[in-house]
Amino acid sequence: MARIILDTLSKQYPNGVLAVDALDLTIADGEFFALLGPSGCGKTTLLRTVAGLENATGGRLLSDDRDVTHLPPGKRDIAMVFQDYALFPHMDVADNIAYPLRIRGEHRTQRRAKALETGTGLGLENLMDRRPGQLSGGQQQRVALARAMACQPSVFLFDEPLSNLDARLRLEARTFLKKLQKDLGVTTIFVTHDQAEALAMADRMAVMELGKIRQVGTPAEVFHRPANTFVANFIGSAPMNLLAGETADDGLRIGGFTVPFPHDSPRLPPGTPVTLGARPEYVDVVGTSTPGAMAGTVTIVEYLGATALVSVQIGDERVPDGADPVLGLTVQAMVAEGTEPQIGARIGVTHQPNRSLLYAADTGDLVSGTGSGTGSGTGSGIPGSTAATVSTTP
Amino acid sequence: MPRTAVATDAAGLGRARAGGFVAPALVLVGLFLVFPALWTIYLGLTDYRLTGLAAAAPKMVGLQNFRDALADRFFLNSLWLTLIYVAGSAIIGQTVLGFALAWMMQKVRPSVRGVVETVVLLAWLLPGSVVSFLWWAMLNRRDGTLNALLDTPGYNWLIQHPMLSIIVFNTWRGTAFSMMLFSAALQAVPPSQLESARMAGANGAQQFRDVVFPHIRGHVLTNTLLISLWTFNDFSPYLLTAGGPNHKSEILPAFIYNRAIGTGELGYGAAISLIMLVINLIIALLYLTLLRTRKVKT
Amino acid sequence: MTATAARPAAVPLGPPPSMVVKKFVSRVLFYVVIALLLVFFMLPMLWIVLAPFDASPSLTIKLPDFSTGNFSELWHNPYALRSLLNALIISLGTMALVLVFGALASYALSRVRVPGRDALLYALLLLSSIVSGTAAMVPIFLLMTNVHLIDSQLGVVLVMTGGLLPAAIFILKDFMDATPRSYEESAKVFGASPLQILRHVVIPIARPGLATIAVWALVNAWGNFLVPFILLRSADKYPAAVVMYTFYTEGGQPKLGLISAFSLMYSIPVVIAYLVVSRRYGFRFHGGIKS
Ligand SMILES: Nc1ncnc2c1ncn2[C@@H]1O[C@H](COP(=O)(O)OP(=O)(O)OP(=O)(O)O)[C@@H](O)[C@H]1O
Ligand SMILES: [Mg+2]
Repeated sequence: MARIILDTLSKQYPNGVLAVDALDLTIADGEFFALLGPSGCGKTTLLRTVAGLENATGGRLLSDDRDVTHLPPGKRDIAMVFQDYALFPHMDVADNIAYPLRIRGEHRTQRRAKALETGTGLGLENLMDRRPGQLSGGQQQRVALARAMACQPSVFLFDEPLSNLDARLRLEARTFLKKLQKDLGVTTIFVTHDQAEALAMADRMAVMELGKIRQVGTPAEVFHRPANTFVANFIGSAPMNLLAGETADDGLRIGGFTVPFPHDSPRLPPGTPVTLGARPEYVDVVGTSTPGAMAGTVTIVEYLGATALVSVQIGDERVPDGADPVLGLTVQAMVAEGTEPQIGARIGVTHQPNRSLLYAADTGDLVSGTGSGTGSGTGSGIPGSTAATVSTTP
Repeated sequence: MPRTAVATDAAGLGRARAGGFVAPALVLVGLFLVFPALWTIYLGLTDYRLTGLAAAAPKMVGLQNFRDALADRFFLNSLWLTLIYVAGSAIIGQTVLGFALAWMMQKVRPSVRGVVETVVLLAWLLPGSVVSFLWWAMLNRRDGTLNALLDTPGYNWLIQHPMLSIIVFNTWRGTAFSMMLFSAALQAVPPSQLESARMAGANGAQQFRDVVFPHIRGHVLTNTLLISLWTFNDFSPYLLTAGGPNHKSEILPAFIYNRAIGTGELGYGAAISLIMLVINLIIALLYLTLLRTRKVKT
Repeated sequence: MTATAARPAAVPLGPPPSMVVKKFVSRVLFYVVIALLLVFFMLPMLWIVLAPFDASPSLTIKLPDFSTGNFSELWHNPYALRSLLNALIISLGTMALVLVFGALASYALSRVRVPGRDALLYALLLLSSIVSGTAAMVPIFLLMTNVHLIDSQLGVVLVMTGGLLPAAIFILKDFMDATPRSYEESAKVFGASPLQILRHVVIPIARPGLATIAVWALVNAWGNFLVPFILLRSADKYPAAVVMYTFYTEGGQPKLGLISAFSLMYSIPVVIAYLVVSRRYGFRFHGGIKS
C-alpha cells in the first residue's frame, strides 16, 4: 500500500495540449480517491501519467517517498483497469487473470491456481475457461479487477471502469467495488465523469477543469461547499441554481427581488456583483407574496420519481406565447412528488439561507457559505488532506 | 473508446528496436525492388544485350533507346494495345461487371449469393498457369468448348480476335476483386438512408444516384485505379497468345519479354520498362491524389 | 437481403395486373442474367473438374468416361510431383519470410512515429505493383545472374518476398493500427517487456490479419509464373506454374490427360488454403488482397 504524492506534476502532449497543469495532490495510503471532471479535462491523462504510460513533462511523482517519476510502468507496483477493460481476447479468463504472474515468470499450473483463487473471490469461479467475448459487461469488469488484483499491487488505477455497464449493473458494481477496495485496503485512484459515482464511492475527490484541480475534499465538502461556481455547477444531480445579482443593505437584489443573504456572508459593500448558489433541493416553493421570495411562472415540470424538478421563470409577467421559457432568469426547485405546481402557475421560490452560498461574480470563487446540516468542516480528518492544495485559476 | 488514432509506442519499443524490426524487410525490399528499379534506369541508357559483343561491354547510348522506342512502330502499337487492354478489361470489364454482380447479389437469396460469389472468386484464386490453359482450351480452334457451343468448328478465336480474347480472359479472371470491393462498399451504405430516400418516394435510379453513389464514389475510384495498375503490369495474357499473332496482342509486358529475353535486347527492354514505370507512377500518383482528397473530405 | 425484401409490400387491393406482369418479367430477366453470368464464370472451370477423370480427355468439356488413368500418369511423370513439391517449397518459404518480416516491420511502423513513414510505404507499394509485374524483369534477371542466385529457388523466394512485402506491410499495418493500444498498455503496466508484449498480445490479436496475409502470400507465390520462369534453368527446380507448360508431346501437342490431372492437383491447395482462412476468420476484405 502506498501514499501517492503529485508534486507540480505536468503533462504536455507533443501537440501542445497541456492536459495536466502543475498539479499538487496527496493521496493517502489506503484512500479511495476519485478524479472527477468534464470530458477532456485531463483525468485520463493524469491517471496514465501516474501509471507511467505517459511521461510527465514536469514535476515529480512520489510513491511512499520513492521518486517514481521516471520509472517504467511495470516497476511502479501499480495495476490499472482500463475503460474498455483491455482483456486479452485470445486468452481465457484464467489466463487473463494470471497474466501479471506470467510476466513474473511463475509456472503455468501455479499461476492458474492463483487465478482461480482470485477469481473465486469475485464470483468468477465458473467462468474461468471462457473467453472475454463470451462474458457480460459486468463479468468482464470483474475479470479486469481480478487481473489487477492478481499482482497484489500497492495502487489501483481505474479509468471509468463502470461506464461500460448499464445503469442497474453500475449501481451494483459501485457497492461491490467500494467494499472490495475497503477490504483490500489498496490505495485507489478512480476516474469518472459521473459526479454521483464520485460522491457515492470516494473517500475524497478532486474536481478538475482544463488540467487543473478546482477543488479537493470529501464528497460532503464538495457537495455542500463547492469552492467555486464551476464545481457548484458540476456537482449535484440537478445543477445548482447560480443566480447573478448584487448586494444591498437589506439582502441580495436578484431579478428585481430582494432575497436574504446566505448565512455567514461577509459584509460586502452595497452594489457588489455576486452570484447566489442554491441547490434545487434547498429551494422551497411558496406563495408569491411570501417575504424574501422571488415570484415567477412555472415553465417546466420534470417528473423524477419521488421528486419533481420545477423550473420557474422569475418575473412579473407570464411567459408570452411562443417565447422560449428557459431564457431569462430561471430558478429550479426540487419538490416532493405530488406537490408540484401546474405549468403556468404563478408561484414564489425561496432559498434556504443556511444551505446556500455566495460567490464572487468575477472570479466565481466562494466568498461565504454555511456548513451544511451534515456538519462537515474544512478539515476532513483524513491524513494528507491538508497537504492537498487547491489550485486557483488566475 | 480505445485509443487508436494516435501512434503511441504503447509497448515501449523505442526507436532502435523499431529500426531493428523494420530493417530485414527494408533490406529485402531495397535489394529486390528498389535496386532493380534503379538499375532499370541505368540499363535503359545502355545498349546492353543478352548475347554478343554488347553483352561483354555495354556502351552508354544516352537517350537513344527512348528515341528508338518512340520511332518503333511495334512499341507504339504495343502502347496502343495496352491502352485498349486496360480500358477494356479493367475499366469496362472488371469494374462494370464487378459492380453489376455486387449490386445483383444484394437482391438474391444468400444461397444463390454464396454460389455466385464462390465461382467468381475461384476464377481469381486459381493459379495463372491453370486459368490460362483453361481459356486456351475453351478457345481452341480444333475442339474448344466455345466452338462446340456456338457450332463454329475450326474458328480460331485467339488468331481472329486476340485482343478480345485476352480482354475477356482478364475480365473473367479479375472481376472478383471489384465485386468484393463493391459489395463491401454497398454493405456500408446505411440502410436508414436508403429507407428515408424510399419514404421520400425515390425510385431505384434516384436511390442509386442520391444515396448509393455518393457513398461508393471513393471505392469506385480506388477500385478503378488499383485494377488499372494491376492489369497494366499483368503478364498472364502472354500465356494465352504470346503477344501474337503478328504482334496483334503484344501488350507492354509481352513486348518487353519478347524483346528483352526473346531477342536479347536488354538495354532496349529496360528503356521500355522505364517508360512503363513512369506510366505506373502517373497512375499511382493520380490514385494517391484522389485518395488524399477523399480523406480530406471525410 | 432476400428477394422479396427489396420490393415494397403489396398494397391490400393488389397492384394492377400489368404491373404484376412487368414485375414478374423483370424478375425472370434478372435471374436469367445471373444464370448467364454464372455460366460465363463456370464454363472454363468445368474442364478442370471433368477432364482429369476422363479416360481420353479432349479440350471439349464433356461428361467423363470415368478413369483414374490420368492420375497414375501424373504419378509416374518425373517432373509433375517434383514440381508440386518445388511450388510448395517456394511458396512456403515466401510465405514465411513475408509473414515474419512483414509482421515485425508493420508493428514497428504502426507504433513508432518515423518521419516520412506514409510516403515511404506508398512509394514501396507503388514499386511493388510494378516489379512484381513485368517492368523490372530485365534488371532482376541481371541482378540474380550477378549474385549467382540464378537457377536457385532461394533466389525466387527472395525476389517474390521483396515484391510482396510492401503490400503485406501495408495491409498488416492496418491490422496493427486497429488493435487497441490498451491491450499493450495493460500488459505494460503489469511489467511485460516489448518482446513479451509482441509475443503475448500483439501477434495473437493480429492473428486474423496474419492468416490473411499468409494465405495471400502463399496463393501469390504458388501461382507466380514469371519469376521462376525467368530465374530458373533446370527442369527439376521448376515449380508447378512453369512445369505445366512443358507437358507437350514432341509434336507440340498438349498431353491433355496429364495437364488436366496436374491442373486439378495444382489448384486444390490454394482453394483449400483460401477456404480454411475464410472459414476460420471470416472473409475480411482488404484493398489489394491479391495483386
Ligand atoms: N495522445 C494525445 N495527444 C494529444 N492530446 C491529447 C492526447 N490524449 C489526450 N489529449 C488531449 O488532452 C486533453 C485531456 O484528455 P484526457 O483524455 O485526459 O481527458 P479526460 O478527462 O479523460 O476526458 P474523458 O472524460 O472524455 O475521457 C484533451 O484536450 C485531449 O484532447
Ligand atoms: Mg478519459
